Amino acid sequence: MNRRYVVSLGVLATAIVILALALAPGAAQAPTAAKTAAPTAWTPSRTPWGDPDLQGVYRYEAAIPLERPANLADTPFLTDEEVARRDQAEQEQEAKRLAGGEGVDVGRQPLSESPIRGNEYNSFWQDHGRPRQIHNRTSLIVDPPDGKLPYTPDARKAEARSAARYGIGPYESFLDPDTGERCLTDGVTALMWQGPNGGHNRIMQSPGYVTILHEEYRDRRIIPVDGRAHGSIRQWFGDAVGRWEGSTLVVDTVNFLDKTHYEWANVWTRPSETLHLVERFTRVDADTIEYEITIEDPTTFARPWKAAIPITRLPDGTQIYEYACHEGNYAMPNLLSGARAQAQAGEEGR
Amino acid sequence: MSLRVSVSPWPVEVTAWTFTNIFNASNVLSMNTGDWLKGALIASAGAAVVAALWWGAASTAGQAPAFKAPRTADGKPDLNGVWQAVNTANYDIQAHPARPALAIRPAPARSGAPGLGRATPADLPAVPVIALGAAGGVPAGHGVVEGDEIPYQPWAAARKKENVDNWLTRDPEITCHMPGVPRATYMPYPFQVLQGTDKILIAYEFAGATRTIHMDAAGSSPSDTWMGWSRGRWEDDTLVVDVTNFNDQTWFDRAGNFHSEALHVVERYTPASPYHLMYEVTIEDPKVFTRPWKMSMPLYRRFETDAQVLEYKCVEFVEELMYGHLGIRDPGTGQLNK
Repeated sequence: MNRRYVVSLGVLATAIVILALALAPGAAQAPTAAKTAAPTAWTPSRTPWGDPDLQGVYRYEAAIPLERPANLADTPFLTDEEVARRDQAEQEQEAKRLAGGEGVDVGRQPLSESPIRGNEYNSFWQDHGRPRQIHNRTSLIVDPPDGKLPYTPDARKAEARSAARYGIGPYESFLDPDTGERCLTDGVTALMWQGPNGGHNRIMQSPGYVTILHEEYRDRRIIPVDGRAHGSIRQWFGDAVGRWEGSTLVVDTVNFLDKTHYEWANVWTRPSETLHLVERFTRVDADTIEYEITIEDPTTFARPWKAAIPITRLPDGTQIYEYACHEGNYAMPNLLSGARAQAQAGEEGR
Repeated sequence: MSLRVSVSPWPVEVTAWTFTNIFNASNVLSMNTGDWLKGALIASAGAAVVAALWWGAASTAGQAPAFKAPRTADGKPDLNGVWQAVNTANYDIQAHPARPALAIRPAPARSGAPGLGRATPADLPAVPVIALGAAGGVPAGHGVVEGDEIPYQPWAAARKKENVDNWLTRDPEITCHMPGVPRATYMPYPFQVLQGTDKILIAYEFAGATRTIHMDAAGSSPSDTWMGWSRGRWEDDTLVVDVTNFNDQTWFDRAGNFHSEALHVVERYTPASPYHLMYEVTIEDPKVFTRPWKMSMPLYRRFETDAQVLEYKCVEFVEELMYGHLGIRDPGTGQLNK
C-alpha cells in the first residue's frame, strides 16, 4: 500500500500541474497538425492512476504509402504545390468513386506507383467517411532513407511469388488464401496503419495495461506495462511488454509465430520467428499519435527499418463494432468449391 | 476539463496485492516504522475481513458474503484481473450425471447371449468421438440454474432435445464461433477484466472475443451481434451489465440450450473476496422461455504471477473440419479430393 500511496500523491501533483497548464492562457489550443515527423513536446493528460492518457479510437487517415513510390524516389517530402496537386487528385478520385467508378476508372495505380495509400484496391471496400489527411511525406518509411523495405534477396523473391499468386491462386485448400481471407488476422504490424477499411483501433488503458482493440478481425493486444519480462510462448501477435518513457509508450514484442500471411494488396505484414518489433506511441497533440515502428528481422530484412505513422484520434463517441468475419465467411467455401469446379471442368475438357 | 483524483484513506487500499504482501515477511521488514504500523493495522484489518469472510461463507451458504471491494484510483470497485469459472456449466448448465461422451449413439437393442445385454452400457459414444475415450467423457455436475429448471416453451423444449441429438453439427463452439453471453463467462478458458474509466473490456481467451462494457452508456448497436451490446452501471460494489442486441446463433452450453435474437441478459458481478467474484445472470427471452430465469456461480481469480489471457485463434483449428472436403487437395495428405 505504501507504493500505491506514493503513486496517489504523484497523481495529485501531476493533476495540479496539468490543471495549471490548462488554466494558462493559450494552453488549450492544440498545435496545428504537424507536417513533419518529429514528435513535439505535448503533455497528455493522465489517467486516474497516473499513466499518460493515450485513450481514444484512432485510425490511420494520412494518405502516405508505406514505401516511397518509384516516381518519387528522390523526393522524401513534397512541396506545398505537390501536396495540393495530390489533394486534388485524391478529391477527383473520390468523386469518381462516389459516381460508382472502380479500379483504373478512378485512377487506380499499382501499389509500387501509387502516391496515395488506399487507391490500389477495389474501392467499394474503402470507407471514405472522412476526408483523408494529405501529408507532405512520400513514404511512412523514414529509414532507410530511400523509403524502401530493405528485403534480403530471398525474402524479396518470396514476396514477389506470393504477390503474384494473390487473387489468382491456385486455391487447392483452405491454406492457400491469405490469413485475412481466412478471417485470422491482418497481422500485428498492420493494425495501426490499416487505413480506411475497418482500421479503427480503440486504445484502452487500465492499471498496468494498455489494450489495443482493432476492429478488423477483432484483433486484440493486451500489453502489460507493469515491468514484467517477456514470456516464452510464441503467439501470432508475439509477446508484448510495454513501458513508459516520459509520455511515450514503448512496446517491445518478440516471440512471434511465423504464420501471418496477409497479401490484401498490401505491404509487408509478415512476421517471422526472428522478428523484434519496437513501437513508440507519442501523443503529439490532442488528435494525433505519432506511431513509430522499428523492425528488425534478419530472416526477412538485410537491415532494421523504421516507419513513422501519424494516427488520428476520431471524435468522441466513435465506437468499435463487432467484426464477425469467420462467423460469416461464405467466401471461403465459395472460393474452394469454385476452384474445385474449375479443376473438374478442366479435366473434363481434356 | 475535470480531473478526478482521489487520495483514498488507507482502509480501502486493502487489495489482493495487499493481502498477498502483508504475509510477505521481507516486505514488512523493509518498511520504516510508520509504514510498519500502517502495515500492521492493515494486516489486522485484512485478518478481520478474512475472518468475516469465512464466517459469512459458513453462515450464508450460496450467497455473496459481505466484502468491501478494493477501489480503483477513481474510487470504483476494482474488478481488474484474470478470472475463470471452475464448474461443468459449459457441458450442461443443468444438473447432469457423468456420461461417456457429448455425442451419444442409441444403445444397441439387447439381444444375444444371456448376461451380455446387462453388461452393455446405456449410452455409447457416437462413432466420430469413440477414439477420444475417457478424454471425451462428460463429468457430472450440479448445474448452475436456479431451481434447475429452464422454462422452455413447448416448441423450444423440443428444439433443445433436437440440438442434443445433433450436437456435433450444431454447437457453435465446435466451429469456433464467438460464444455469446453468458456462455463466454463459464467456458473453460480464462478471461481478463480491463477496467478503464468509462469503458470496461472483458477479453475472453476463446476465439479472441472481446466485449466493451459501456459505463458511459454511449452509442448503440447498429445490428444484432454474437457478443451483444453491453451497458454497465455500479450498484454498490456490484457491476451490473445489461446486454442486448444478440443474434440467435449462440448457445448456453454443449447441451443444446439456446435462445432467440430476443435474448436480454442482465449480469451481476459482485466481488466476494480478493480472490473471487459472485456471478449472477438473468436470462429473458419471451420467444423461447415462459419466464425469466437465473444462473449463478463463483468466478475465481487466476492469481499465479504469469496469469494471462493468451491467444486461442481457433479458426485455424476448425478449417479442415469446415472446409477440408471442399478443396482440390487435402492439405494433410496431399491427396486429390474426389
